[in-house]
Amino acid sequence: MQRDTFKKYSLAALVALAFAFPLVVSNPTYVHILIMLYLFAYMTTCWNVVGGFAGVLPLGHSVFVGIGAYTSTVLWLQYGISPWLGMLVGGVIAAAVGYLIGKPTLKMRGAYFALSTMAFVEGVRVIVENVDKIGPFKLNGPRGLNIAPLPPEAAGFWSFQFDSKEPYYYIILIMLIAMVALTRFLSRSKLGYCLYAGGEEPEAAQALGVNVTRYKIIAMIISSFSIALAGTFLAQLTLFIYPKSVLTLDLSFELAFIALIGGRGSIAGPIIGSFLLRPVGEFSRIYLADSLPGMHLIIYGVILIVVMLYQPRGLTEPLTRLFDRLLDRLFGKETPPNGKPSAGNSSSSRSASTEVTSS
Amino acid sequence: MDFIFFLQDLINGVLMGLIYGLVALGLTLIFGVLKVINFAHGSFIMVGMFVAYWAVSLTGLHPYLALALVVPTMFIFGYFTQDLLIKPVFRAERDVREPTTVIIVTTGMWYILDNLALLIFGPDYRALSPNPLKGQMIELGQLFISVPKLWGALASVATAVGLFLFLSKTRLGRAVRATSLDREAAGLMGINQWKIYNIAFGLGTAVAGIAGVALTPFNNVYPTVGIPFDVKSFVIVVLGGLGSIPGALIGGVIIGLIESLGPIFMTSTWTEAIVYGLFLLVLFVRPTGLFGQKFDW
Repeated sequence: MQRDTFKKYSLAALVALAFAFPLVVSNPTYVHILIMLYLFAYMTTCWNVVGGFAGVLPLGHSVFVGIGAYTSTVLWLQYGISPWLGMLVGGVIAAAVGYLIGKPTLKMRGAYFALSTMAFVEGVRVIVENVDKIGPFKLNGPRGLNIAPLPPEAAGFWSFQFDSKEPYYYIILIMLIAMVALTRFLSRSKLGYCLYAGGEEPEAAQALGVNVTRYKIIAMIISSFSIALAGTFLAQLTLFIYPKSVLTLDLSFELAFIALIGGRGSIAGPIIGSFLLRPVGEFSRIYLADSLPGMHLIIYGVILIVVMLYQPRGLTEPLTRLFDRLLDRLFGKETPPNGKPSAGNSSSSRSASTEVTSS
Repeated sequence: MDFIFFLQDLINGVLMGLIYGLVALGLTLIFGVLKVINFAHGSFIMVGMFVAYWAVSLTGLHPYLALALVVPTMFIFGYFTQDLLIKPVFRAERDVREPTTVIIVTTGMWYILDNLALLIFGPDYRALSPNPLKGQMIELGQLFISVPKLWGALASVATAVGLFLFLSKTRLGRAVRATSLDREAAGLMGINQWKIYNIAFGLGTAVAGIAGVALTPFNNVYPTVGIPFDVKSFVIVVLGGLGSIPGALIGGVIIGLIESLGPIFMTSTWTEAIVYGLFLLVLFVRPTGLFGQKFDW
């Protein structure tokens, strides 16, 4: 019992620390770095709903980021509709597109699914780069859309523009916490169990009467809706979007990398992955890009390969083990409380189940 | 007169399409046996091009003689890549039918190889310098056929036929096919599946090397040269059917024809969109591709 309370308190302390951070550190650079970390953690958590739980490898999630970014920006620039509403509209459109693309592709085998999502994002990028307007909506082709910054007194909640970084920080932090809570809820719901089952043993799950494809499509809809919200956030944060910034394979790949390095299918995986991988990429780019061009991507590639060689299930698992050992030190060995299996996090229970099936 | 232009585009499309097929051949071979999409395939082609480029620049030999160096180098490179990097991950995911973690490993290799080339050779575009094939044309009345592209297309067909004969006639080839059908059963028949995987990966890499040699006389060499070929070969192999050798050639020709005939009807940037659109259409209508086998892998 003591152990569980400690876990709860440490989590609460972590959240409190995150909320207090901008009050203590006022340097906008650091705040910005954290905003980007949260943003990537958020997007990867969204990716994880379908890419982690359902055991497929979507490589086209930047399409939905792009839809979110473009929808809210077009609505704001041409009709003056608040990005908050645009965010929801973008989410709904992205969910519809996610349904349309997921319905035929999620039936496919993993390789075909990965490649078709890749082709989808490339196709959408080519189209957006080649049209100036779709119907009445101006997209400006490769030049992208520029959101004119409002004067500080006009900026505010309604226009989703703030003259300091802190509001962005809190918005994305709350979005991240909400998304993590949703993922946690999903992973313990019927949907989550069906997705795990379908990801691990599709034939067995089908035989038990689970319509695996249907659950995967539902996951895809949730994932595409929520990741589109990040697109709007990104557009409002940078105030400039263009096809290569929100509709690229690079972004899609990075989300997959973060999830896999962190541990796909686990709740903490995307956050841990984002906090490990993003800073490595950023700092090596800042310090090495001038002297040794390409070095930062070599480091990135080496990390990917080394982690996949030694921890193919991601880094969350060994970190959890480390944390558990620390708890053992503090509170003594864990005894299963009155016959109930200890509620480990989903990644460890998941690996345990595979070990059973493989042996 | 218009018909001549059309015929010219048609010929260019078929030749370039066959070369695309050659580019995709290694990818489809590796997928057929290992069920792994090699995301580093474009980088392998880039490596092949750089080896060919340096072999020709330093010795001044005929570009196609570089094959004698490129093919064994690339085979060994691929053999040990699979043995040292991919096999361990593969082993960990043995019970998974389609290992997805391997995709991340090959993507990591893509990053490493491309940027290593950037680090060592810089971002410059290099053209083959003693290049006896440069701008050579065969004139057929009003038609012009580029000699290096013709040789590339011939190499494509020859490589495909060679691979087909290897897989169907030799003992080793049959072992490769057996492993690709069912690795457990093949293992029980006394086939060392990991060795077969090494050989298949080495072969796929060697074919990427052949593609590199075929491309070097008319394509500049630079560190990111593989990326467009990478995405293109994915489209080609899915069009033709993942793992199918004739499918790769025909998929390549389809893409080549769209690219060369498309600009007659629309601006050339749109042809790319057509390619992806066709790709998605084929996936939805016939997910196994035009020549993909239906059997359960």
